[in-house]
Amino acid sequence: MASLEINSLVKKFSETTAINDISIRILDGEMVGIIGKSGAGKSTLMRLINRLIEPTSGSIAYNGIEITSLKGKNLKQWRSKCAMIFQQFNLIDRLDVLTNVLSGTLGINFKLLKLLKIYSKKEKIEALTYLNNLDLSDKALQRVGTLSGGQQQRVAIARAMMQNPSILLADEPISSLDPKNSKVVMDDIKKINKQDGIMVICNLHSLEIAKEYCDRLIGLSDGKIVFDGHPSSLTKELAEQLYDLENE
Amino acid sequence: MNDSLLKRHITIYSEQLRSRRLWNIFIILIFAVSFFMSSSIIDFNLSQIIDGFPRLSDYIVKILPNLDINLILENSKTEGSIQYWYFNFKKYAALLYETFNMAVLATLMGFIFALILSFLSAKNITPNIYSYHLVKRILEFLRGVPEIIFAILFVWALGVGPLAGIIAITIHTTGALGKLFSEVHENADLKTCEAIRSHGGNWVSEMRYGIIPKVLPNIISYALLRFEINIRASTVIGFVGAGGIGQELYLVINFNYYEEVSAIILLIILTVITIDISSGRIRQKIIGEMGV
Amino acid sequence: MSEKDIISLCPKAFYPLWKRSPIVFTGYILVIFYFLFCLYYFDFSLGKILSGLSNMKPILVAMFTWNDFFNWNFNSIFTGLAQTLGMAFLGTFLATLVCIPISFVASRQIFKFGLIRFLIKRFLDFIRGVDILIWAIIYVRAFGLGPFAGLLSIFTVDVGTLGKLFSEATDNADARQIEGMQSTGASKISVIRYGLIPQIFPIFISQSLYFFESNTRSAVILGVVGAGGIGLQLTERMKAQYWDQTLFIIILILIMVAIIDTASRIIRKNIIDE
Ligand SMILES: Nc1ncnc2c1ncn2[C@@H]1O[C@H](COP(=O)(O)OP(=O)(O)O)[C@@H](O)[C@H]1O
Ligand SMILES: [Mg+2]
Repeated sequence: MASLEINSLVKKFSETTAINDISIRILDGEMVGIIGKSGAGKSTLMRLINRLIEPTSGSIAYNGIEITSLKGKNLKQWRSKCAMIFQQFNLIDRLDVLTNVLSGTLGINFKLLKLLKIYSKKEKIEALTYLNNLDLSDKALQRVGTLSGGQQQRVAIARAMMQNPSILLADEPISSLDPKNSKVVMDDIKKINKQDGIMVICNLHSLEIAKEYCDRLIGLSDGKIVFDGHPSSLTKELAEQLYDLENE
Repeated sequence: MNDSLLKRHITIYSEQLRSRRLWNIFIILIFAVSFFMSSSIIDFNLSQIIDGFPRLSDYIVKILPNLDINLILENSKTEGSIQYWYFNFKKYAALLYETFNMAVLATLMGFIFALILSFLSAKNITPNIYSYHLVKRILEFLRGVPEIIFAILFVWALGVGPLAGIIAITIHTTGALGKLFSEVHENADLKTCEAIRSHGGNWVSEMRYGIIPKVLPNIISYALLRFEINIRASTVIGFVGAGGIGQELYLVINFNYYEEVSAIILLIILTVITIDISSGRIRQKIIGEMGV
Repeated sequence: MSEKDIISLCPKAFYPLWKRSPIVFTGYILVIFYFLFCLYYFDFSLGKILSGLSNMKPILVAMFTWNDFFNWNFNSIFTGLAQTLGMAFLGTFLATLVCIPISFVASRQIFKFGLIRFLIKRFLDFIRGVDILIWAIIYVRAFGLGPFAGLLSIFTVDVGTLGKLFSEATDNADARQIEGMQSTGASKISVIRYGLIPQIFPIFISQSLYFFESNTRSAVILGVVGAGGIGLQLTERMKAQYWDQTLFIIILILIMVAIIDTASRIIRKNIIDE
């Protein structure tokens, strides 16, 4: 079975060690929640996996292929394979929803015409289908900047799906959303995990949501793993330690 | 999703895209037409560039100093030294000083006139609507005519020398700052003014205590910005005989004292950049922490 | 309570002005003294100026006496206006084209070589340090009299300013949109096209329009040193003391500038709202 293997991963910034010797193995089809207080290194871990930033040392491998040494085209391919969604959505505000979703194909299938925003009919249908699954097809031509946060996050999910990913990285996908929208977005992510069997790694700042949606939780503290297991085995003390300031 | 709905969405999307693309083509056409019209009216063509650039580089090579690294620190009699290049440094320094003072004086006088006029030409606080329109038109005229045109006129009237330049820059500054100041006033909120009026304060006290404290940081920062612009203006207003280092620069360019050209231009650049930087610092400070 | 007791409640309120905020106070004093000093330095006397200005009276009278209006050379005047507009348009347009790639270099996320960025910025500073009229005489020396020299000076100065403004715009662009595109595995050119350009293009266009507007003003004065356009017509007539035509041309310039201002303001507004 395909898996993502992280070994002795370290990431140092000039002053802080954001990721301090982490090793994890995640299997295809798992839905993993990463929890920990802010500054614990959750976002850094995601960025390392997507290779938006370079590790200081250690290895990340997918299906036995070393990710950290990929360059050029292979690196781009890897990034499109592990789609990422962000706390602040990171969409192109001034462009319409459909074009934003279509831009997810730029990594796997680049054509010069796409620089003029010309996409094939097949891709447009695919994009609209994803939007429709996320209940957004009526917003297809609206500018992204005019949508609500929840809608924008679902556009981001649609863009991620366009990448035809094997892994979905979600960096605090619901922390800028209200409870109702949070639920919609988390349900959508869960659906992607269950129906398409895509591995999901999700940073969450809410323990309740993490327990509700994930099969497995990884607790980070100061760049180290302090918990790894089924949500039910997370003790109350540990949970409090993981979240101390956050939940007061 | 049913197929017909999907198709309809795609049709709408394509249509929207097509109309946007048509619009873009239209704009590009307008640009192309303007481009060719402009090129023909000013005889802009490639051959001109190709012919001209050797001459430009010749000229630049000529005006650059002949510095010799071994002699660079020698005295002003030795060709190749910095002192030889800047043999006229004392004169330049005096002229730069004059230029600086021209800008200071013109900015300050323009500032005073502009401040007075701006109270009349701000819609929300003007004491009377006729003065509003009149002053507004006057300010428009003052800033519409470039200072160097005024300078030519005043050189006629007052003779060659810095006075003509100072007055020309003052006039233009009055127009430019007057407009900005009245916009600042128009954005100020009038609650304080009303309060002062309710205490029985007159128009002048309304301006002094209701408006000035609010607008002063903005106004001073605009004035400093204008000072930076005026420094540049006063370096060139001498081209028409209105004083400052520009007069000397014009002379050395026309008499082909090649190395002096670069010597003066370098000094001007250094002055301008130094003043831009210091004035920028002051502006940032002022915006932060000024209460009057 | 005695007066002293009351004062001791808030002694600062009774400080003299210079002690309350010494920095501001010294600032004012310095400015006032320097102002007075400058008046002295330039021997600035009202009488001198007034008597000088009285020399202007015949000029003013001549300005408003349009006797042989129908014999004026309108052809040269309107060609001059058209040249001025053409110079401003081409100069701004070409500078915009050059500054777009320059600004990509300024974006830290897209272009990694700090040294090149630093050198380009200092070069732009240098260009901006030289006034447009100085560029104009240099170009007139190299390329001869005429609007081509004017076009080049506008172009040069605009590269300096637009280059700086564009760079600031890209540098301030929302990094998240760029990161979002990078995370999809898109190539550099796609990242620029989708992550950066939609953010910065409206700003660029609006700034270029604004500069076209202010360049029409600059283009007017370039004629003073022989770089063509309406300024050349104007200075020639001033030298020949045709004051009536001088005023006419000034009025035309004001009208032209006002039209361009309004048009460009309307277009800019629409671009930003769009
Ligand atoms: N680009 C960066 N430069 C320097 N330090 C960083 C950078 N990104 C993150 N850090 C530091 O790394 C640590 C982990 O940050 P992050 O991964 O964002 O935490 P989390 O997402 O868990 O809140 C923090 O101490 C943060 O200050
Ligand atoms: Mg984070």
